[in-house]
Parts: sequence; structure tokens; C-alpha cells
Amino acid sequence: MIQRLLPFLTLVVLFVALSIASPHFLTATNLSSVVRQTAVFNIMALGMTLVIISAGVDLSVGSILAMGGLMGTMAMSKGQPIFLGVAVGLATGAFFGFLNGLLITQLKISPFIVTLGTMGIVRGLALVVSNGLPVHEIPKDFSYLGEGTVVGVPFVLLLLVACALLVHFILENTKLGRYTFAIGSNTDAAVYAGIPVRFHTTAIYAICGLLTGLAGMIEASRLMTGQPTAGQGYELQAIAAVVIGGGSLRGGEGSVVGTLIGGFIMGLLANGCDLLGINPYVQQVIIGAVIILAVSVDELRKRRSV
Amino acid sequence: MLLELTGVEKRFGGVIALRNGALSVDAGEVHLVMGENGAGKSTMMKIIAGLQRRDGGVMKWRGEVVDFANPVEAARMGIAMVHQESLLAPHLSVAENIFLGREVRGRFGLIDRAAMTQRARQLIAEHHFPLQAEWQVERLSPAGKQLVEICRAIQHGTSLLIFDEPTSSLSESETKEVFKIVRTLRDRGTGVIYITHRMDELRSMGDRVTILRDGETVHTEAMSTLSTAQMIRYMVGREVSALYTREPVTPGAEMLRVHNFSAPPAVKDVSLTVRAGEIVGLAGLIGAGRTELCKAIFGLDRNARGSLWVNEKPVHFRTPNAAVKAGVALIPEDRQKTGLARELPIAWNVTMAGLDAISPYGLLSHASEKTITAQSIERLRIRCDSGAQKAGRLSGGNQQKVVISKWVSRGAKIFLFDEPTRGIDIGAKREVFEVMDELARQGAAILMVSSELPEILQVADRILVMRHGRIAGELPGRTTQEEIMRLAALDTTEGAGPQ
Repeated sequence: MIQRLLPFLTLVVLFVALSIASPHFLTATNLSSVVRQTAVFNIMALGMTLVIISAGVDLSVGSILAMGGLMGTMAMSKGQPIFLGVAVGLATGAFFGFLNGLLITQLKISPFIVTLGTMGIVRGLALVVSNGLPVHEIPKDFSYLGEGTVVGVPFVLLLLVACALLVHFILENTKLGRYTFAIGSNTDAAVYAGIPVRFHTTAIYAICGLLTGLAGMIEASRLMTGQPTAGQGYELQAIAAVVIGGGSLRGGEGSVVGTLIGGFIMGLLANGCDLLGINPYVQQVIIGAVIILAVSVDELRKRRSV
Repeated sequence: MLLELTGVEKRFGGVIALRNGALSVDAGEVHLVMGENGAGKSTMMKIIAGLQRRDGGVMKWRGEVVDFANPVEAARMGIAMVHQESLLAPHLSVAENIFLGREVRGRFGLIDRAAMTQRARQLIAEHHFPLQAEWQVERLSPAGKQLVEICRAIQHGTSLLIFDEPTSSLSESETKEVFKIVRTLRDRGTGVIYITHRMDELRSMGDRVTILRDGETVHTEAMSTLSTAQMIRYMVGREVSALYTREPVTPGAEMLRVHNFSAPPAVKDVSLTVRAGEIVGLAGLIGAGRTELCKAIFGLDRNARGSLWVNEKPVHFRTPNAAVKAGVALIPEDRQKTGLARELPIAWNVTMAGLDAISPYGLLSHASEKTITAQSIERLRIRCDSGAQKAGRLSGGNQQKVVISKWVSRGAKIFLFDEPTRGIDIGAKREVFEVMDELARQGAAILMVSSELPEILQVADRILVMRHGRIAGELPGRTTQEEIMRLAALDTTEGAGPQ
């Protein structure tokens, strides 16, 4: 039981340690900046949680994030209202997620390969569509999405909580969620049980794309530009958050709470390193080591419990 | 004498695979080894070839006690085995496969491809095999692959060669080719052990035959003095234990009809019907096409052709999903691979096939799931702590009950049981049969594949026997093991005595 709580305890210890180590940590400004920084890849990680539970992986989310942000901001720059721009961003994400699902289920190619391919394709398309140039003509009010507050609480935090509740609800209380676990735990058994595996797999990737589209709009709002080069390397952050939180790339395991803890551990580590003046190059080493450590501890727990 | 085994034993956990294995092989002899599925033939061969170590008994090679730790040690003594399933590396060439693990080394320890190809060519030419050293193994026919296996086995002065059902995947002419090789080897003084199920192969091939039953050698005799009838008696001659007896039900309406149904290459032109309340046994040897037939009916084979009727309406299942919706259930042969999600809770496994009914608008009702799981645990007597326990933690028998309850709780009406008692203990077997009986009494139609003849005899109302992908015949439920074996194994019908 203690081992199951380990990620959470790590998060608490990290939080307390940073509060003691740096006087700037436990301030409203810093904490809300942590929340804003982590919200983007935490929302992506929620979609990735579904994908990873189904024994898949999506390497294209970084590219989809850029494409979603780009299409949304382009719509706004062409005079469309903000809500429509956001809708375009979400739809773009969902479309490319759906495409991933379709390629994986119809061509029967492993998700790793398919999304490795679409990672390049979508990134390339984003550069082609934008001519490699960022979109700047965005209505000022759009910044609210990434930077606004509701009675002092960052709006993105509310969005993150809403997304987390949604994905948690899907996993715990819907047929789709149950099938996600079934497909990830034993795809053959799922087929033999008459589950429409292709349909549900496609739906999972589409949802992941949708959430990534939202993350793309938040990122664009924070930067107030639509960047075709946004989100590079974010896919690895999202995957790391899921696995630190107990998700298994073998499928059948993972949870929303775990992913959020994993995401915040990564966020606090980055923030803590900044506050303590640790060289950003060394930061990367630390975060990499934490990923390996977290997963090996989790593996040990599982092996012992079998 | 080349090889002598006495009292050889092998256990796998609590299961005894071989309890008293005895066998002697002379040089220049073709020695047939026969027995039902699971009689211990393959285990015995693996011990001889160094693939498994014996737990007891004596194995002598040219008069000296030996104990091989691995196949390489056995090969060094001159013992080689041609496997039932191809163990070749498909992307490598014929020559590379022949010398796999024993590559010809040239300068600097690098592989000397030219020398290897050269030697492979000699070997192929010597035996007049229809092969080329450069061909890629992937592209070869099953027979071609078998020949590569043989080349590999005989490449360096083998004095004992083991064939484990070499012709099960071969055509008639390819089989003749293999026989020719076996005879050539024998005439050169090589000892040959040959495992087969097909009685027609034996007469022309064997010098002596050893028969195994339930992990024990029961008889060894010269081929020329042993009749087919005697052979069958030795193979199935155990006492039929009174495990279970079923009172047959008067069958009701026809529920499943399969007509001129083929699933190439394993299933050829099969027609059968199962009626409500009936348990129809499907007997046959491994590789007869029974599993493939069940999978094809269940929508798992895209190449399946022919007609299916469910409840006297024509149907066409392109996916298992369609079959499930029509009320068909498959309890697969390989529980771990295709039956159970081991890492998921029992409850999730139980409701996996019937989630639609308890998820209005896609929203899962946890209350209904709890009720259904509790009912299933009680009805099938699944022994567990709670429905939240991981399914993989249960014993084999209880795992099987979880797989069955997946379909019972869904209300399936047509059940395809593929080897439902494989790997489960006697008590659980009995419980599985009771569930099948209960289902049939409530109007379900059941097709049951089993390689356990006594079980089929106890449970089935009538028995269909498959051979080489076809229905070889139908027998009443109260038939004998000899009758079934005759249909399952004979290529020529009745009266194939010694010639």
C-alpha cells in the first residue's frame, strides 16, 4: 500500500522540500506559474493516459499541439470570433487523433510507427500551411484562456480539473473506458469477447487528439502566437507523466490521478531547479533519472505482488 | 543397441508427463512411437534430444548412461530432431538455416558464407532435395521447410534422427518424399525414431512400434506382427473413469447449421447441425481442423466460405462482434492468450462480453455489474476472495469458469467449447461439465471440441470426428474410443490389418 502511494508521497516530499529550500517557492505567483506551465502537458498527458492504457502510444501529440494552435489562431487572424477559433483548434486535434486511430486499426501497424510517421507529417504540414511563420494577429482577449483567473484561480487550472474529471469519468464509468482497459490488457481476448476493438481504439486516439488540440490553444494563448514549431518534445513529457504515475506501456494500467501526480512531479522538478539556480542542462539529467527511478520502483512493486 | 531408455520420468510442477518411459532403438531401424495426444511422446523425444532433462530413470547411448543439458550436447553425440513446427529463421537463406548456430568460420572468426553455401549445395545434391542453398526460407512450402529441417539435422554425421510428426503439414507427394529420405537414412545405418498419428504411414515405414499411454510405455512389438486393432487397443486401453455421466435431453429446434463450410487450408467442406439441448462432441487429432472450424464459425477467419444458419436464419459473421450479437459464444482453447484478461479484475472479465446490456448510453452501471458478478461467482462456483481480485490469480479451473461466465452472463445460446477442460483439475472438470449440462437443459446448443476421448464419451450426445479438415464421420454418444480413433486416424477405412 505504501508503495502504491509512493508517487503521491514523492510529490508531497518534493513540495515540502522546495518550500523549505526556497523562499520564492510557496508564493502565489510561483505556484500559479507552475500550474500554467504544467497545464499544457498535463492536459496532453490525460489523453495519453487513455492511449497508454489501451497498450498504445502517441508520439505525434507535440506536432498535433502545434497544428491545433496554428489552425485556431489562423481562424482568429482571419476575423473569426475567439470561441470559433478555439473550436477549430480542438477539431483539428481531434481530426489528427482520429487519423492516427484509423491508420493504426486499418493498416494494422503498431501505434509507435504510425504516430512516429504522423509526428513528422503533421509537423511538416503545420510548417507548410504557415510558411514557417508564426501567426501574430490574434484578438487580445484570447490571452484569457492561458493567463486569465477566476476569483484568483488560474483559468487553466479549472480547465485541467475539468479535463481530468472527464477522463476519469470515461475510464471509470463508461463502456469506452472499460474497453480501453480490456484492449490494453489483452487485445486478443477483447476481440474474442466480441468487443469492436477497431472502433474503440480509433475513438481513444481521437479523444487524445481533442485534448491535445485544447492544449495547443492554451499554449497559443500563453504565447499569444500560433507557432508551427510549438510543442516539440512535449510528447515525451506527456508519456513520462503517465508512466511516473503508474501507467504501463504494456497496457491495461494507468489512472488519471497517477498521471496528474506524475505531471506535477515533473513540473515541480523543473520549477525547483529554476528556483535553486540549477543549470538547465543538469535539469534534464535529473528529470531523466527520475523517470527511470519511478518506473523501476513501480515494476518492483508489481513483481512482488504477483 | 543405439539408444535405451528405462523408467524415464518427467514432471512439470504437479503434472506427470512421463512416468515410466521405455524405448530402445537399434542402428538401421525405423522405430515408430505412437500414442494419444498427451501420452508423453513429445516429452520423451525432447528428453532424448536434450531439450528437456529427465527427473528420473536411465538413458543409455551406445551402452553408456548419458544426460544431455542441451540440444548441442545431444547433437555432439549424433542425435538430432526434426520438429513438428518449423523452428527455422524465416528471413535467412536455406544454407544459413542449415548451419544456424554452427556457422562455418573463416579468417578472423568471420562467417565464411561461400564455404557454407558450398557445403549446403553438396548436402542438398546428395539427397536430391528440390532446394537451392540461396533461397529464402520464408518463401518455401511447409514441405520445403521440413526438408531444410532435415538437412540441418543430418548435416554432420547423425546416427539417430527423431521425426516428430513430420508429415502433418505435408501433401501426399511431399509425404512420399519424406518417407524416401527416412528409408535412405535407415539403409545407411542411421537409427530413426518416428512419431506419427496416421496409421497408414506406419505399415510402409516401421520396423518396430512402441506405444505410450498416459505417460507410460505400454507395449513394444515388431510392426509385422501387430494388427491395427491391437494397436488402437493399446493406445486407448485405460479404464474409463466414471468422471461424469450425462442424461441426454430430447433435442429441440435446430440452432446452428454449418453447410459446405471451408476455411482454407485447415477446414474443408464441413457440414453439421447442433440443436437446442444438444451437446455435440467434435473429436479428432491435433491438426484435424477443429479449432480452426470453431474460429471460422465465430467470425475470426476472413477467408471462411460456406453457409451458416443461426436459429434457421442465414447469417454471415465478418467479425466476432457479429457472432456475439447473434448469440454465439466461443470458449477458446488458449485461455491465457485469448480467453482471459489476466491483469483485470474477475468482475471486468465476467461482464466483458455483455457490457452493452448494462451500459445504457455507454454509461456503465456499477450496480448491475456487481449483481451479475455475484450471480456468476455463485452459479459457476468460482472460488475467489471477491470479484475485484485479478483474474490471473485464480487456479486454471476457476479461470476457465470466469471465461465461461463471460458468455453465460451475456445470455449466449450457442456455445463453442474448444478444449474446455485443458489444464484444469478433475474437480473443476466435473463442474465445467455440470455447467454445460445445465446450459443444454435450458435450451442452449453446444459444440464441444475435446482431445480427451473419455470426456467426449461421457458428455456428448453424438460425436463428429474430424480428419484432415473434413468430417470423417458421425458416431452416437455411446460409442467406444476405438471407434473414434479409427475414424480420426485411419486413412483407409475398416480392416486395415497387417499387410
